[in-house]
Amino acid sequence: MKKLILTIFALALLPLSAMAQEEVTLKGKELFGDMRARHIGPALMSGRINDLELHPTNTRIMYAGTAGGGVWKSSDGGATFAPIFDDHVQSIGVVTLDPKNPDQVIWVGTGETWTRNSVSVGDGLFRSTDGGGTWKEIPGFENSERIASVVIDPTNSDVVYVGVLGALWSDSEDRGVYKTTDGGKTWNKILYVNPATGAGDVIMDPKNPNVLYTSMWEFRRTGWGFNSGGENSAIYKSTDAGKTWNKIHNGFPAGKLGRIGLAVAPSDNNRLYAVLETEDKEKNGLWVSKNAGQSWEHLNNDFGLVVRPFYFSRITVDPRNPDIILKGGLSGSISRDGGKTFKNLGNMHSDIHDIVFHINDSDIIYAGTDGGVYRSWNGGTTFEIVENLPLSQFYHISTDNAEPYNVYGGLQDNGSWWGPSSSPGGVEARDWNSVGAGDGFRVLKHPTKNIVYSEMQGAENVWRIDVDKNRTKTIQPLPKKGDAELRFNWNAPMAVSAHVPDRFYMGSQFVHRSDNMGDSWTIISPDLTTNDPKKQDQSSSGGLSVDNSGAENHTTIFTIAESPLDQNVLWVGTDDGNVQVTQDGGANWTNVTPNLVGIPANTWVYHIEASVHGKGTAYAVFEGHTTGDMKPYTLKTTDFGKTWKSIISDDIDARAFVRNIQEDYVNEDLLFLGTEFGLYITVDGGENWSHFTNNMPPVAVHFIDMQKATNDIVMGTHGRGVIIIDDISPLREIDQEVLSKDVHFFDTEPVTMVEEGGFSGGFGNETQFVGGNKPTSARIIYYLKKRHTFGKMTMEIQDMEGNTLTTLTPGKSKGINVVNWNFNTKSPKMAAAKTLSFGGFTAPRVPAGKYKVVLTKGKDTYEHIIETTYDNTAITTLAERKNQEEMTQTMFKMVEDLAYMVYEIGEMQTKAQEVINNNPKGKKVAQQLYDALEDLRTDLVVTTGDNYVASAEPELRERMGDLYANIAGSYDRVTGAQMQNYGLIKEEFEKEKQRFEAIKNKEGKKFMKFLEKNDMELKLASKEEFLGDK
Amino acid sequence: MKTLKTLFIALLVVALAPLAQAQTADEIIDNYFEITGGKANWEKLEGAKMVGSVNMQGMEIPIEMFQMTDGRQLLKINFQGQEMVQYAFDGEEMWATNFMTMAAEKSDAETTENMKKNVGDFPSPFLNYKEKGYTVEYIGEETKEGAETYKVKLTQKPIMVDGKEEPTISYHYFDKDNGVLILTETRVNQGPMAGQMSMSTFSDYQEVNGLYFPFSISMGGQGVALTDIVIDPELEENFFAFPEKK
Repeated sequence: MKKLILTIFALALLPLSAMAQEEVTLKGKELFGDMRARHIGPALMSGRINDLELHPTNTRIMYAGTAGGGVWKSSDGGATFAPIFDDHVQSIGVVTLDPKNPDQVIWVGTGETWTRNSVSVGDGLFRSTDGGGTWKEIPGFENSERIASVVIDPTNSDVVYVGVLGALWSDSEDRGVYKTTDGGKTWNKILYVNPATGAGDVIMDPKNPNVLYTSMWEFRRTGWGFNSGGENSAIYKSTDAGKTWNKIHNGFPAGKLGRIGLAVAPSDNNRLYAVLETEDKEKNGLWVSKNAGQSWEHLNNDFGLVVRPFYFSRITVDPRNPDIILKGGLSGSISRDGGKTFKNLGNMHSDIHDIVFHINDSDIIYAGTDGGVYRSWNGGTTFEIVENLPLSQFYHISTDNAEPYNVYGGLQDNGSWWGPSSSPGGVEARDWNSVGAGDGFRVLKHPTKNIVYSEMQGAENVWRIDVDKNRTKTIQPLPKKGDAELRFNWNAPMAVSAHVPDRFYMGSQFVHRSDNMGDSWTIISPDLTTNDPKKQDQSSSGGLSVDNSGAENHTTIFTIAESPLDQNVLWVGTDDGNVQVTQDGGANWTNVTPNLVGIPANTWVYHIEASVHGKGTAYAVFEGHTTGDMKPYTLKTTDFGKTWKSIISDDIDARAFVRNIQEDYVNEDLLFLGTEFGLYITVDGGENWSHFTNNMPPVAVHFIDMQKATNDIVMGTHGRGVIIIDDISPLREIDQEVLSKDVHFFDTEPVTMVEEGGFSGGFGNETQFVGGNKPTSARIIYYLKKRHTFGKMTMEIQDMEGNTLTTLTPGKSKGINVVNWNFNTKSPKMAAAKTLSFGGFTAPRVPAGKYKVVLTKGKDTYEHIIETTYDNTAITTLAERKNQEEMTQTMFKMVEDLAYMVYEIGEMQTKAQEVINNNPKGKKVAQQLYDALEDLRTDLVVTTGDNYVASAEPELRERMGDLYANIAGSYDRVTGAQMQNYGLIKEEFEKEKQRFEAIKNKEGKKFMKFLEKNDMELKLASKEEFLGDK
Repeated sequence: MKTLKTLFIALLVVALAPLAQAQTADEIIDNYFEITGGKANWEKLEGAKMVGSVNMQGMEIPIEMFQMTDGRQLLKINFQGQEMVQYAFDGEEMWATNFMTMAAEKSDAETTENMKKNVGDFPSPFLNYKEKGYTVEYIGEETKEGAETYKVKLTQKPIMVDGKEEPTISYHYFDKDNGVLILTETRVNQGPMAGQMSMSTFSDYQEVNGLYFPFSISMGGQGVALTDIVIDPELEENFFAFPEKK
């Protein structure tokens, strides 16, 4: 004990002397304390799944490795899932359980492997040895980018094979098959072809762990094209645990091959299936070998077997029957005759990437799609969606000014939506509204009218939706005579004007402006791109299988920003590296690209943020990941682009390429950076950056908006839906002075006591994701220099005279702490009874006014004043509200008066009982008193029954409590019925009080006399003492 | 002279207390017991009565927690003047009060068995953890509640969840500056939170008979504030037993 005190003493002293001169660094996790992000989904359309993994023996356990939302585990057979990989990169290639220890050992290869244009990137290989509680990175795979396979020898857990598909947009020597024989300490690359060819499926013979098969794939993506296939794609077999490998192509057509899916039947190790992409269309699709790869025969080239091999190459064989095969695809296919014929799987979200059979029952099938995980109970005919996977992949989000505000955004393969940032009972699936089909991108609300703009890929359709009337109009710019062919990006830029409400901008290679909400358009710029014809031939993109979805359209405008200070200042960024600005509404454009510093030529300009802090001030975000350049780039200019300065520091992960920036509207030095690995925040203009990780996984943040009225940071993530950090205003005040104080309360605006009362339903929420709400309570925000660990620390709310109204539980974290107060004081003390009175659950709200927050920390006291105001949507007059508050206090007092009366009765009865038991002489008077009191008590409170259907008739306490609660809990004036009821209850209570007085005067007097004579005493707590004892 | 000596000891403690980088779980745990009263004193402890309250949005609910080192425990709450046992375990049987009828009901067999398997949680599961059949592992350093901490993994005996065995794993964070436990994360095994982590934080450590206890505990966001801790309380023999037996 002494030692402890000394330690505290010494620790308190030491930093003072040692660090007196030192500047406090404006970064680090502690800066954010317990400011936490909240997730609002949505989960109703979920998001892309890359890989499913079932536990080999426990039918309750399964895992989903998702394209952009991490790893999720189900412990209830796929009914619900929970995230288990939130500290690490969220793009997942493969999840594999150790067959010998599947409860504990999980391997996760990161980097999604179905290589569409919008994929995220991985960050190596991870392993958990405690069932997913903690993860360690396995060294050696830092540059793998995408891991497609992890295969573990079922006889020896130390022997593991890893198939690295590798980089999508560049050469990489990290590709190939790796093996460890010491549980991951050391690795050998045992199969490597060249820097362009990676390992797809690595599979193991189910009976002989020395026999391995691998499919190698030659592939490459650029910003403007894709190639699948080459001379080096092949299937290899090893029979000596990976020492030597031979191609097994006997029967395949000559020439180039593309992506190859590979499977061996678990119940017949001679049966191999492969899906091929070849130069001969007739020979594409499914092949079978019945002799472990010695020879192959072609089975089927139906659409379902050949569609988009880079996206769908998974084949799964029924564990019990080698003739039943599932194949991923646009709809997914199933064969029950060894692959000769297939039919489509039942309706579910399209684009099936992985599909697995239940370990014991082939009627049960799980599928991973572009829209989440599905379950079938009847062999693949009917599918139902898992409803609690909020994996939505946003490209863009925006917010409006409603209260609560709405969030708008477009999703990969899941259309366009808007939904509330808060909703009664939480943000549920049913709160979201669809405003677009196809792939969704930018969704913008008209600044003043209830009109929403949305779009689909390549601006094939741009919609203007009249939300009130439910009418939709197609309004995309169309070429007129003499126009060049318009090139729209897949994710085409749109912008609304802050100055002219009906003005709407779009970008092709030109800037299009409409002043009538898209009815007619004017081109207000020349071609602002490089117009490089080498990047414009998408018709042959895809390689062996043409894949011209529009996703590779290039040399287009990607971002348009109108200055919030001047409608004539417009910024434009293009996907081929140009930054252009006009200061006269488009008459003249300046290409400021040559002035950029440290940005490689032609690097995609992903976002430009025109600042509110100066007409010539803007931020430009560049990202080169489609050339293999993952570095973060963000520049700031204050002179219309003449000069630029990088605001990136070493704090940001060197591979966390940036897609978005959001400035604070108040403090120019406060900036929010959306990167591929999550959110970074600076409070000093970019000198120092801190990774925000409080309930915020390192997910790809594609777009950030700041809602002006609430100061909320709203993020559109590509894999975890919409994530919000409520009210970041405290960060505006962070500076050296604040950080050097022991305790600092942040200023808060007067808080509106939001009045709402409704019903939230909540049906189906057992298995549905429900997003968290923004608290409507007052937020008391303070900074602590050190985490409070020793001695008392308490917080209470006092009125300005110093009377305690209620106590709160203060946060003790180092950094920023947020304590919520719901404006309630303490609930009344209820009369004791057999059952509970629901009136006792209601605490009176405080009136509008100023209140003291008093934080006591050891001997020190810190005070802060907060102000509350009434809701301006109130349905009462001020006089009526004052009356309601008075009546609440009157009823509160009456409820407590009754409680004290029942206490007195109880104490007197206890004493009487004591006399009855021990003093024969006094038994008679005691009994008379006891009976009279009991008679009274049973009219005051419930003395029999229970809290459910065996409840007794309500007595005075129950009726009084109900009236109190109804008046106190209401936001409306006190009703006439309530006042009449009050008259009745008051009268009844007066009568009972008189009855009590009468008893005290009659039976009570005699009893007291007896006590006096016998030197006995009845001790009663005073009313104040009784009520203080809460 | 005395001042000098105090200062000397203080400096010595400073040099000792923030442990050198290379850590083992045992060093962290031993240091924790040393700093909070000494392992020998903790071993002497037989039980405690903890008095405090839970604040649920304006409603302050008085509570009394009784915990014995042999695993017996009882949580009593006071609701509108009525005392009720929220749950209790007498070493053999676990029971709780049904809120509809206010009557005691026995917990299901699996819950009771699970309770029996990990009775060594008080005063700390780490106290002589090896004898209890638990294992510990040092995981690394992590920032929790803004503080730099050492993370220690604790594996207790597996429990049964709806008929299937599940491991009992929790993570404990010890403040690097002062060595005490400030946060615990426990894997939730059943219910709607299954698979996720439930977090408890500990602060307001104060001394009681030479032992340091956290007087402020937050469990899954619900704060518990203690006002008094009575060491080795005297209790009736059947205090923890299912009411029938009394």
